[in-house]
Formats: sequence, C-alpha cells, structure tokens
Amino acid sequence: MPETEATPVVMTVTDAGIRFRRNRRGRRNFKDLFAGRKRRSRPGEFWALRNVTITVRAGEAIGVVGRNGQGKSTLLKLVAGVILPDEGTVDVRQGVAPLIEITGGFVDDLSVRDNVYLTAGLHGMTKAMVDARFDEIIDFAEIGDFLDTPYKHLSSGMKVRIAFAVISRLEEPIILVDEVLAVGDKAFREKCYRRIEELLASGRTLFFVSHNERDLRRFCTRGLYLDKGALVLDAPIAEVLARYNAEYGTA
Amino acid sequence: MSSIAEERPHWSPFARYRHALWLLTRRDLRVRYSTSALGYIWSVLDPLVMSGIYWFVFTQVFQRPLGSDPYIVFLLSALLPWMWFNGAVSDSTRAFLREAKLIRSTKIPRTIWVNRLVLSKGIEFLASMPVLALFVVFSPGSAINGDLVLFPLAILMQTVLTVGIGLIVAPLVVFFRDLERATKLVLRFLFYASPIIYGTSNLPEELHFWAAFNPLTGIFSLYRAGFFPGELDWFAVGVSAVMSVLILAVGLLVFRRLERSVLKEI
Ligand SMILES: Nc1ncnc2c1ncn2[C@@H]1O[C@H](COP(=O)(O)OP(=O)(O)OP(=O)(O)O)[C@@H](O)[C@H]1O
Ligand SMILES: [Mg+2]
Repeated sequence: MPETEATPVVMTVTDAGIRFRRNRRGRRNFKDLFAGRKRRSRPGEFWALRNVTITVRAGEAIGVVGRNGQGKSTLLKLVAGVILPDEGTVDVRQGVAPLIEITGGFVDDLSVRDNVYLTAGLHGMTKAMVDARFDEIIDFAEIGDFLDTPYKHLSSGMKVRIAFAVISRLEEPIILVDEVLAVGDKAFREKCYRRIEELLASGRTLFFVSHNERDLRRFCTRGLYLDKGALVLDAPIAEVLARYNAEYGTA
Repeated sequence: MSSIAEERPHWSPFARYRHALWLLTRRDLRVRYSTSALGYIWSVLDPLVMSGIYWFVFTQVFQRPLGSDPYIVFLLSALLPWMWFNGAVSDSTRAFLREAKLIRSTKIPRTIWVNRLVLSKGIEFLASMPVLALFVVFSPGSAINGDLVLFPLAILMQTVLTVGIGLIVAPLVVFFRDLERATKLVLRFLFYASPIIYGTSNLPEELHFWAAFNPLTGIFSLYRAGFFPGELDWFAVGVSAVMSVLILAVGLLVFRRLERSVLKEI
C-alpha cells in the first residue's frame, strides 16, 4: 500500500525523550521521586532517547536499526505505551499489538490456555472473539499438546511461538516486533515472516527491530537509525542501512 | 486473512477499564478457589477461627464485658470487613512486583493493578456475609434493626479508603522495599487500634475523640449499627468519610506522580 499525504497518520512522536538511572544502587529519596517530569537531569541519569520526532502513516513498515543499547527497544516501548516519556509526547491513535518482551507478557504460572485468554482479553478482546480464533492460534503455534502446561515449563522457542501467534491475532492496526523471533527455529521463523507479510498486505502498520539486514529489507520500506539515544536518520530503509553499515562497517 | 476493518468492538475507555479489571479480578478468584480443595472454606475459616479465639478469651476466660452481646456477632461484624481491608492493603505492597511481566507489556490504566486487589478481596468479603447472617440467626439475643441499610454506605466508604491506601502503598514499595515489612507492622498495630475486638464505648472517655481519626472507626460503626444501634457514632462516620476521600485524593496524586518512575523500575 503506497503511503501518500492522504493516508491517515496513525502516530506522531514529538520531541520525545526518556531518561534512566544508570546505577540501581544510588539511594532514592522522596524529593526526587515527587519532583515530576520537569526536574533537571541528575548525575546518575542518562537520556536513553532524546529529541525523537516521527510521524507514521497507516500501512508503513518501519525498520529500526542501531547498535546494542542505543534505544531501539525503548522506542518501541514508548510507542506501546508501557513506559512514558519524560519529555515531549507520544501520540498513538490506534491500537497496538506489542511483541516486545520475549514472552509477550505471558504469566509463568498460568497454563497456555489461560494465558491466551488473559493476554487477548487485556488487549480488549471479548471472550467470544478469542474463542473464534483460539484453534487457529494454537495451530499456528503448533503446541496443541501443551494447552494445559504452565507457561514456565515451555521451551523458549515454544514460548515465542505462542506469544507471536496470539499477538499477531489481536487484530490491532499497529504491530511492534522486537527481535524476539530470532529464538524460533527456521521453519517457524519463515511462518512468522509470512504472517507478517499477510498483515502488511492487509494494511497494518509495522515497527520491526532486527539486526538482520535481509529481514529488514524484506519487510520494511522506511528505516530509523538510532545512535546514542538520538534519531540519526529517518529515510528509506536502503539508505538507512547504507549509513549504518558505513558507520559501523560490517558489510 | 481479514482486513483491518475488523469486527473489533469499539470500547469506550470506561468499558475497556471495566473489562480488564474484571478479567484480572476473576483470574485472582479463580486461582484462589481452584488451586485448593477447600477454596471458599479457607476464606471464611480464617476469620471464624480468629473469632472463636477472641470469643473464648474475652467471654470465657476473662469474662470482661467487651463490646455488646452476642459477642460473636459483634466480633464478626467488624472482623470480616477487617479481613478485606487487611488483605487488600497487604496485597497491594506486591501489586507491581508480582505482575511486573504483565505490566511491562500491556498499557491498561495502571490503577487497575491496585483496584483489582481491592475488588477481589471485596468479593471474598461479600461471599463471607452468609456466615455473619448464620450467626445472627442462630445466636440467642441477636436482633437486627433498620440501620442495616447503612451497610452499603460502609462498603462504599471502605472501598474509597482501601483504594486510596493501595494507591499510595503500591508505587512507593517499588522504590522503598522496606515499606513492605513496615506496612505489615502498621496493619498489625491497626488491628488493635481499631474497634474490632472492642467497641468505641470500651475506650476511655478522653480517647473517643481521637479514635474517630482512625477512619476504620467510623466504617466499623456503620457495619455494626444494623445489629447494635448503640455502636452508631455519626461524628466518627463523618470524620471517616472526610478522611477516606482525602486519602483517596492523596493516593491518586501520589500514583500519578510515581507512575512514570514505577514503569521504568519494574
Ligand atoms: N528500565 C530501564 N532502566 C534503566 N535503564 C534502562 C531501562 N531500559 C533500558 N535502559 C537502558 O537504556 C539504553 C537503551 O536500551 P534499549 O533496550 O532501548 O537498547 P536496544 O537498542 O534495544 O539494544 P539491543 O539491540 O541490545 O536490544 C540501554 O543503555 C539500557 O541499559
Ligand atoms: Mg532491544
């Protein structure tokens, strides 16, 4: 789907920034905690992201690149709304299906079945909607024999399978995928990629973090290059990858 | 493959909140009642055993007139609400820590993580009401009166108070882990500082005024009014209502301020 000026904007990130504490040991005090978001940066803190501004239109497929620890996952978490910016705004106008934690937020002690209903429910699906999709989700993840196994007893590949199967069936217009698929075996990864392509074909918006250049080129049209917490380049994916490779030459 | 124009229902924020709250509350209850054979029995056995002990100590051993007769009804009418308060507040110390994984991956309004504890303990409280009713029916000398209509008011005030305290405690514990132990200690103190095993009238005269500033005093006096008209103390109820609303306001403020840091920390 070509994005034109007429395609609706699904998300605007304006001058967003977030800072973290570097060392956990530093004592916290009440005054700090209650100072709110206006306070100045303190010595033990650093900006994981700062001055990030992006506008995303429906149907875009965006690849996020950058070295380890440069703020890619943080950006996705801001978009997912599971952390809040200290500066600027993140305005996401449509529902988000996030696959950002390796386990999709599934609960260790609940069975696979309960987890599916809980996660889908928390993302606003009614029981009837989950019922209608349940068999398809389990088929896709190929874990029909483990429906009543506690989630913690699944292998890490199986965990990712079921998490992806659920998240990709949430029917949300925006999908975030953060690396996690690397854990699955080759056949399953291919299956996930085909699912992602289907979703893109149906007009979903995708945020995709990966260190794999082939995957990025396969799905994404637009690239974001993050370095040291700043958005260095926002351009077509080929350009972004060229710049990234030039700076941290691997190619 | 379906297109985006799904049959996804259009929720209002309020409906969405209610849906998620109910989902988590139901999970809490299910876990509690399905993992143990005696489920419901346990949730009433605890207060029953405690009442049995206090009843024995204060009517059989000391034979000191405390509260009103029948003492077992007097005890239960405050002990059961206390179990709700105690359970919800002590659970709220772990509200964020226990569910960190889920909180890190869903963006439902964060107050749900506290409110669902108050709600599930509240439902357990309601489920224990038949026990109180049984004792009222079968204890010689017990009677009910029109003030029983105050019961819902007491529930409302207790909900406001408990949510308020939960909203203060839950985020603070994330940064000050010692607060978890401290809360347990304060709760134990509060058990004896509130009119549960005794009535306000058992306190020395000069303490009556100050006792009203424990918001539980007014709330428990409302619960008891339907069985013991003498226990109703409108001054305490008024103070308690004001304090409960105030605590809720402070709770919302604290929660709003700390939410951002909590999400980074967990
Ligand atoms: N909750 C947190 N508390 C403190 N620091 C954090 C937190 N989350 C992220 N950071 C820090 O923010 C920086 C950016 O992290 P982020 O996870 O976004 O990196 P990334 O680009 O996804 O890296 P990778 O390629 O390894 O996944 C890192 O220095 C990380 O240590
Ligand atoms: Mg990452």
